[in-house]
Amino acid sequence: MSMELEFEDLLDEAMDLPDSPAKIALLEQAIRVADAAGDIEQGYEARSMLVNTASFNGFPMKALVAFSWQLGQYDKHPELFEYDLHNLLWSYKWILDDLPSFPDIQLGQIHSLLEDFKLRIKKAGHSERTYDYYRFRMALLTGELEKAGEYMDKWRPVDRDSLSNCQACEQDALVEYFFMLGDDERARVEAKKIMSGRMSCAEVPHVTYPKLLMPLYRTGRQDEAAKLERESFRLIKGNRDFIKAAGLQMIYLTHADPFRGLEVYESFAPLTHNHESPMFRMVFDGAAAVLFKRLAREQVKFNVRLPAYITESGAANDVSRLSEIYTELAFDAAGKFDKRNGNRFYTGEVERLLAQVGE
Amino acid sequence: MNSHTQEEFRFQVDLSGMINILSNHLYSSPKVFLRELLQNAVDAITAMRERDSSYQGQVRAEVIGTGNGATLAMEDNGIGLTEEDVHEFLAMIGQSSKRKDGQLLGETSFIGRFGIGLLSCFMVSDEIVLLTRSAKGGPSLEWRGKPDGTYSIRKLENELSYGTKVYLRCKPGCELYFDPANLEEWFGDYGALLPYPVVLESEGVSRTINIPHPDWMNNLSLVRGRREEVLKFGEQLLGEQVHDFIPLSSSSGRTSGIAYILPYSVNLSAKRSHRVYLKYMLVSESAENILPDWAFFVKCILWTDELQPTASREHFYENEKLETVRTELGESLRRELMNLADQDPERLKGIIQLHALSMKALAVEDETFFRMIHRWLPFESSYGRRDLGELLDENEELYFTLTLDEYRQIMHVAAAQSLPVINGGYVYDAGLLEGLQRLYPGRKIERLLPEEVSFSFIDLTADERRAYYELIREGDIALQPFRCRVQLQRFKPAALPSLFTLSKESSDLRNLIAAEEVSTTELSSILNSLGASHQEQVYSTLYLNLDNEVIARIFGSNHLEILRAAIEMLYVNALMMGHYPLNRKEMQVLNEGILRFIDLGLSMNNGGDTK
Repeated sequence: MSMELEFEDLLDEAMDLPDSPAKIALLEQAIRVADAAGDIEQGYEARSMLVNTASFNGFPMKALVAFSWQLGQYDKHPELFEYDLHNLLWSYKWILDDLPSFPDIQLGQIHSLLEDFKLRIKKAGHSERTYDYYRFRMALLTGELEKAGEYMDKWRPVDRDSLSNCQACEQDALVEYFFMLGDDERARVEAKKIMSGRMSCAEVPHVTYPKLLMPLYRTGRQDEAAKLERESFRLIKGNRDFIKAAGLQMIYLTHADPFRGLEVYESFAPLTHNHESPMFRMVFDGAAAVLFKRLAREQVKFNVRLPAYITESGAANDVSRLSEIYTELAFDAAGKFDKRNGNRFYTGEVERLLAQVGE
Repeated sequence: MNSHTQEEFRFQVDLSGMINILSNHLYSSPKVFLRELLQNAVDAITAMRERDSSYQGQVRAEVIGTGNGATLAMEDNGIGLTEEDVHEFLAMIGQSSKRKDGQLLGETSFIGRFGIGLLSCFMVSDEIVLLTRSAKGGPSLEWRGKPDGTYSIRKLENELSYGTKVYLRCKPGCELYFDPANLEEWFGDYGALLPYPVVLESEGVSRTINIPHPDWMNNLSLVRGRREEVLKFGEQLLGEQVHDFIPLSSSSGRTSGIAYILPYSVNLSAKRSHRVYLKYMLVSESAENILPDWAFFVKCILWTDELQPTASREHFYENEKLETVRTELGESLRRELMNLADQDPERLKGIIQLHALSMKALAVEDETFFRMIHRWLPFESSYGRRDLGELLDENEELYFTLTLDEYRQIMHVAAAQSLPVINGGYVYDAGLLEGLQRLYPGRKIERLLPEEVSFSFIDLTADERRAYYELIREGDIALQPFRCRVQLQRFKPAALPSLFTLSKESSDLRNLIAAEEVSTTELSSILNSLGASHQEQVYSTLYLNLDNEVIARIFGSNHLEILRAAIEMLYVNALMMGHYPLNRKEMQVLNEGILRFIDLGLSMNNGGDTK
C-alpha cells in the first residue's frame, strides 16, 4: 500500500472496514489530507463518518472533536451543508449523550449546549420533545434523578418526530431510569417490550440486558438472570462500546458466579485501555473493584490476565491488591464526577457497590 | 369481563392486497413462485414417504406454448389433497398460526404452508388450476382460484393418480417466468439437491435438473477421498472455480456442508453469501448469518434440517439455534485449519497468505488459533512485508507501532538503524502484536513510540553540547509556542535533516485545537476545558540530525536569525510532510518564513548582510 494515499482512496478503504480503531485511524488520516488541502467539503464528509463510527465504538472524544468542527463549518457555510442539517442534528444528539461522560465538562457548558441544541431543532421545525428527552438524559447521567423524572414526564406524552430516538432506545432509557432509581420491579416491567424481541436497534437490547441482571437477581429470578447473562455476553463481546455494559454484567456475576465474572473481566479489560469515556471506565473499574473483592474470599491461586495499564508486579496473583487498585480508580473518577455534578451520586454508588460484598 | 357475552369475529382479509404485500414486500423476486411450487411438491412427497418409506417421489414440470400464451404445468406424485384440505389451506391464508381447536400450526403443517405458497403463483398468473387426488381417499378434484379471492371446486369424473398438478397461465408481462431456459436455471437453483428426480419438459425435450445426489452429503467422512468430485459439485452449484475446501458439520450432524475456500481475497465488509439448503431445498443463496463473521474467506454450500426459515423462506431466524449452529460450524472450520497446521502446513500457508485479513480477524479472537498460525501471518515491517515467523527468527527484539502515522514517522529512521519495527496500523495488527507478547513472554516485543527511536541516536559529545548549547536553546524557544521541543543529535540516514515525532496524544490535541478554532462558542468552550487537562503533558519533538550537511551548516554558521527561521521552517515542513494541517500560527510562520528567506537570499546576492 502506498504511504501517500489520496482522500478518496482513504475514504474507500475506511468504508471497506468494519467499525474498528483501524477504520477510525483511516478516517482521521483522510481528514488530515482534506484539511491540508483546505477542502472543507471533504473534511466535512470524512468527519461525518468519523462521528458516526467513533460515537458507537468507544471514542466519544474523537466524535466530539470532529462534530465541533462540523458544526462550526455549518454555521460559517450554511449554503454548503444545508443539505446535511438533519444528519447533523442527529449527530448532535449522540454528542449530547456523551457530554456528561467527561468530568472536565462543566454543568453550565452542558446546559448552554442543550440550549443551543434547542434553538437549532426548533429552527428546523421540530418540537421540543427531543430537547426534553436530552434534558432527561443529562439529569439522569449527572445523578439528578428527581429532575430526570420531571423531564421524563415532559417528553413522554408528546408525539414522536423524525428527530426522536428509536423506540427501542427510548424504552431502554426508561429502563435505565428505573434501574438507577433502584426500582427493580418497574425496570423489569419496562424492559418487557425489549425482552420480547419486539424492540431492537444497534445498541438495544445490548445495553439493556446488563441493566436487568441485578433487578432479576434481586427479585428472585435467578434462572432468568443466568440465561440473560449468556445472551447479553454474546451481544456485547469484543466491542469497546459496551464496557459499561460489561461492568454491569460483572457486578451481577460478582454475586451469581464470580469466576464467570473474572472471565468477563479478562475479555473486556484490554478494551478499557485508552477508552475515551471516563464515565464508562468508572463503571468498569467499580465493577472490577467489587468483583476482585469478592474473589479475594476464594482459596484459589489466581493468575489474572491483566490489561497493559496495570503494571504493578505481582498484581496478577493478588486479587485483594487488584480490588484496591480498582477501588482507587473508581473513587477517583466518582469524585471528579460528583464535584462537577454538585452531588454525591457516583461516590455513593461505588460505596454501595462495595458494601454489598463483605470482606 | 364476562367471557360468555363475548363474540368472536374474524378479520376480513383482502386477497389481492395480500398478494401485493407478498410480491412487493415479502419475497425478493416473483421467481420464488417456482420455489413455492417445488416446495409444495416436496412436502407432498415427504408426506407420502412418511406412510411408505420406500416410496419413489418424482416431480415433473412442463411448459406448454410460448410467450404470453405459455402455460406451466407442475406435477408431483405426492400425497394429494382432499376437499377438506383444499378448503382448509385457503382458510389458513392470512390467519394467525393458531387453529380453532387451539392446536399450534407449526413448521410441519403441510396444508397451511401449501396455501401460502400457492398464493405466490398469483404474482405471475391470473388463474391457478389445480388437479389433485388424495392418497387418504376421496374423489379427484379440480380447484380453480382467482386473485380476487374466489375459487371453485369440481369433482372430476375420471380418476387421477395420487398427487397434485398445478397449471399456471402466463400473465401479461410475466413471459420471462415461463421461459424454458430461465425455468431450467431457477429449478436448478432451488431443487438441484433433491434426492429424487425433478424433470423439466419443454418443446418436446425432457431434462433432469437435479444433480446426482452424492453419497457423501450424508457422510462427510467420505469427502477426503473424493476431492475432484467435491470440487466439481461446488463449481456446479456456486458457478465459480474453486480449488480447495473444508468439510463442516454441527455437533448434532443436522447441519453440514462444504466450505469452499475462495481463490481470491475479499474485502472485510464484503457480503458473505453462502448457499443453504433446508431439507434439500435451497433457502438462500446469500445467507450471511450462518457462519461467524470472520469466515469470509469461504463460500459454503450447507444443508440443514434443524434451522427455521423466515416467513419469506429466504433467510433463517436469528435465534438461539442459529447461534449454536453458527458457533459449531465456525468451530468446525477452525479445527480443520488447525489440523492443516499439523498435516499440511504449506497448504495452510497458501490459504493464510491469500486471506491474511480474515485469518487475523480470527486470530485476534482466538489465542489458540493465533498461536497455531502466527508464524505465517504477513506484516509490514521496516524490513518490508514479511511473515511473522521470519521476523521472530531473525530478531531477538521486535517493536511495533500502534498507528500508521507513528509508523510513517519513524519508518525511515528505523530502517536506517536496522531496528525491526512492525506497522501495527492496519486492522487487527496492533491487537495481534500485543497478543504476541503473551505467546513469547521471555522476549522483548514492545510498542515503539516515535520518540523512542531516538534511543538509538548518537548523543552529542560533551564538547559539542557546550558548543551548541546556546543555539539549541534558541531553537527550542522558537518552537515553544508550538509545544514542540528541539533535540540536536546524530542519526542515520545522514540525508535526513530532521525527524519530527508526534505521539498519538499530541496528535489528538492538534485535532482538538483545530476544531476549537472553527467551532461554535459553546463547543469551543467545551473543547477548551477538555484540552486544558492534557496540555501540560503533550509535547512533540523535532530531532535535528547533525550528521546532515545542511543542519551542520546551520549550526556552524552561528547566525541566530537564520537558525531561528530555519528551525521554524523545518518544523512547518515536517508537519506538511506528515499531512498535518497547519493551524493559524503555523500558517503565519510559513508565510513570514518564506518572505524572510527571499529577503535573506536577495540581500546575500547584493553582497550585503542582514541585521
